[in-house]
Formats: sequence, structure tokens, C-alpha cells
Amino acid sequence: MSQPAMDGRIVVDQLTKVFGGNVRAVDQLSFTVEPGSVTGFLGPNGAGKTTTLRMVLGLVHPTGGRATIGGLPYRQLHEPGRIVGAALESSGFHPARTGRNHLRVLATVAGLPEARADQVLDLVGLRDAARRKVRGYSMGMRQRLGLAAALLGDPRVLVLDEPANGLDPDGIRWLRGLLRHLAGEGRTVLVSSHQLNEVQEVADRVVILNHGRLVRSGSIAELTAGTDSVVVRTPDAPAMHAALTGQPVQVDQTDPATLRIRGLSVEQVGHLAYAGGVELHELRGERFDLEQLFFALTAAGAQPPVPTAAGGPA
Amino acid sequence: MIRLVRAEFLKLRTTQVWFWLLLGAIAISALTVIGPLAGGDPKNGRDVAEMFGSAALAYVVIFVLGVLGVTTEFRYQTITATVLLTPSRWAVVTAKMITYALLGIAYALVCVLVQLAIAVPWLDAKGVDYSLGQDGIPHAVGGVFLVLALFGIVGLGIGALVRNQVVAVSVGVIFLVVLENVFLAIPGVKHVYPYLPEGGIRAIADVTARDQDLNGVRLLPVGGGVAVLLLWAFVPAIIGAAFSMNRDIT
Repeated sequence: MSQPAMDGRIVVDQLTKVFGGNVRAVDQLSFTVEPGSVTGFLGPNGAGKTTTLRMVLGLVHPTGGRATIGGLPYRQLHEPGRIVGAALESSGFHPARTGRNHLRVLATVAGLPEARADQVLDLVGLRDAARRKVRGYSMGMRQRLGLAAALLGDPRVLVLDEPANGLDPDGIRWLRGLLRHLAGEGRTVLVSSHQLNEVQEVADRVVILNHGRLVRSGSIAELTAGTDSVVVRTPDAPAMHAALTGQPVQVDQTDPATLRIRGLSVEQVGHLAYAGGVELHELRGERFDLEQLFFALTAAGAQPPVPTAAGGPA
Repeated sequence: MIRLVRAEFLKLRTTQVWFWLLLGAIAISALTVIGPLAGGDPKNGRDVAEMFGSAALAYVVIFVLGVLGVTTEFRYQTITATVLLTPSRWAVVTAKMITYALLGIAYALVCVLVQLAIAVPWLDAKGVDYSLGQDGIPHAVGGVFLVLALFGIVGLGIGALVRNQVVAVSVGVIFLVVLENVFLAIPGVKHVYPYLPEGGIRAIADVTARDQDLNGVRLLPVGGGVAVLLLWAFVPAIIGAAFSMNRDIT
């Protein structure tokens, strides 16, 4: 509002956090989150996701590098509550305060009308619980209340840490729709998660983190391109290997009867088997999804950072 | 800043701690007049002034309230939302200081009214010769207001410095209620007493102690007592805002 030119882009530049002198929680991390998209921020537990988000929000001081929102570090934003909405895992509620009063307090701090509290309570489906003390809220209700707090100032930028935790399947579907809707309005949405399938369904782009370092970033289509495979089950695996000889493929034999083939389509593999006279008991394509990519990228922990795909850290 | 102060009052109103602690303050005020009156002590205006000044003992209550004002936010992690909306820790701490000073004045008003309501009819019935406008009574009552207005800030400062609720409350209360008097009893160490919170309080509100030797220690003059309390109020708050509150919030 007071910064009409602000674009809501989040830029993380060489961000580093060292705890206690030797624990590198985040290590020279760079990525950009664009307005109008949902960006999934992925990594196993302990990868440094939460620390990164806290540095973006000015709650944790970086050891090196910087993070900006719309060109400014968080702590220099004027009226940050109207620009950035954040729901962090550890941001809490006073157990003796009602959900509605929690939001009224925040609305007062942010200089927003108290009516906003009721609006966001409706938006997250907490109207009926609004006047109950947070002590009696379920995990999912607390998540919704945190989300309501994030939406209070109608912010251009949303930073949500594991927002799907504790939500039931209905809640997760609702959250997905909400995030898509918010991104569709041109807002910047950054969502951390370890629930990869959730993110795959809602995110346009992902940033994958492991051991505090960037592993990969880009659109999901970019990251999973060329990684589909064909699974073949046959009683005569050597014959199938022979039929594939000379083809530009990568073959993994997962058990004596099953081959996983990359580099050819289902039709091409089927044709080669037919031409080679190989008996098949199963022939199917398998989409290499985000979860597999994620495990491949973060496996064993020793993986060095991979050069980013096109459109990587801008 | 006004909306931050309003939000602080809303935080207070939407939980119940203020009510229970107010009951505590009322109990202290009532007992500090009922005790002397039932014992038949007050003989003249000077005694009455001492009695009214003892409402300042409610400082322990307002101190705890101040400590809770900061440490509850760390305990329940509402501090995250607070500083996300108000990135300046100075603004957060200043708003709390204003709020708790006003709250201390409100508590003082209640305490004084409770004391007057109990003491005035009782004193009249006993036929004690005094006047509310004389014998240092206005001074004692004014001292109560000043002490309670400042002690919320003392509590906030200690809370901002320590951040841990249990540690800040227990160490703070033990120091104020027990250790200060222990210090007064120890030769050599006792000379710090006038510069401790209680020494400051008594210099301001305890009209009889001001003129006495306390185990060979003389209290500071009123102005000195005010200065001591101001230091106890503002130094921890400033250090807390500058350093402790500024540490990483994880």
C-alpha cells in the first residue's frame, strides 16, 4: 500500500547461517521466488528450510549474504504486516486467548480494522471456533489460525512453513485451492514442505535444499523432464537386454524379472520387445515424480550441489 | 506507537493474568491497613502515612506482571508474530513500557482506593487525629503511584533481559523479597541497600524509614530513591531491547 511499486519478489542471495561457530545450517543459498506463482521449498528435516525462512523474515540474523522482499530486507519494510504474511511452525498462540482475540491483537498491531479478524476466520473456516480458547484447538485448527494470521493484512507475499502439517485430507485440498487462488491473484507464495506430493500438485516451481545448500531449483516440468521411465517385466531378462542393445538407453535391473528403462517411450520399448521376440508380462510407463527426484537428489547426503536447471537461481 | 500500546492492552485484556494479580494487589493493600489498624498501631498522622505508603508493597505484583508481559511472549512464541509486525525491538519494548507504566498507575489507584475505603472509617471510629492532606500522607500516596508505575517497567526489563519466564519470575521475586533484606543484614554488603529496588522504594514511599538508621544504613533522599528506581526500570529494559530481544528468534 505504502510501497505501490513493490513487486513482491523474494530474493535470497548467498544466504549463510552458522550456528554456534561450526554448524552451517544454511550455506551460500541463492534463489528467487517470483510473484504470481507458488514456489515449493523442499528439503528433508534439518535441511535448513526453517532457518532460511526465518532469515527472509528478519527473525534470524544471517551470518552472510542477504534476503530481500521487494528489494528490501524484511526489517526495513514499512508496515510489514500489510506486505508479507507469514505462518511459521513455531509461531505460537497464548493458550488462554481465543482465536478471534489472537487475531484482534495482531490486527491492532498492524493498524488493521478488527473486522479483518472475522473475515480471515471465515476464510480459513474457523468461524465456529473463533470464540474458543486456543488451548482447545486441534493441530489442524492451529494451522488454520496461523494461516488466518498470515492473511490478516491482505499481503502480497506469503511465507508459509509446513502449512499442511496437521491438516486432514479435506484441509489439504482446501489449502491447495487457497494457495493456487492466492498465486492467481499475482501474490508471491513460498511454501516449505517435506510432503512432496502435496507440493507437486500445487507448486509451479520448487527450490530443493539439502544440508543447507541448494540442490536444484526450477519449474517442476523442467526438473522432471526426461526422467520418465518404462518398466518391463519379463521371464527372459537377458533377451530383453539383447533387444535393447544399441539403443540410447539406461537400463536398471531391479530384480531378475524387472527392468527399468530410461530414454525410450513405452511404444518404442514394446516394439523392440516384439521385434526381438521377448515375452513380456508387464509393460508400463512410469512418471518420474518429484518425490523420486527429491530422494535421488538428496540421497546419502553426500550429493554435491548439482548445477541448476534452466531458470535456476536467477 | 499508539496502536502498539492499544495492542498491549488488548493482549492483557484477552487473558486473565491481570485480574488475578490485581486481586493480589488488592489483598496486599487491604492487609497493609488491616494489620496496623487491628493491632491498634496508628496513633497519629505520621503512623497513618506509613500505613498508606505500605501499599507500595504491591510492587511485587506489578513486577511479576511486567515480567510476564515479555516472557509470556517468548514462552508461547507469540513474540514471532509481534516482531514480524513490529520489526523494531525498541518499538516493541517502548510500547510495553508505556502500557505497563499506565497499568501500574491503574493498579496504584485501585490499591489506594481500597486502603482509603478500609482505613478512613476505621480511623474515624478509633478517633485517630490525622488529616489526609498532612503529615506526609499525600507524599506516601504519591510514592505508591510512582513506585507502581515504575515497577512494571522494572519487570519488563528483567523479562526482556532473561526471556525465560520461570527464571525471570522466580529469581526476580526471590531477589526483591528475600535477598535484598539478606543483603541489608550483611556487614559491608549492607551499604548497597539504598541502591537496590527496595532501598529506592522505601526512600520514596516509606515516610518513617527515611529518617531512620536501618542496621546502620541511611536511605537516599527522595530524589535519590527516584533515581535508583529509574535506573532499575530503564537500564535492564534498554539492555534487553538492544541485545537480548535482538537475538535470533528460533
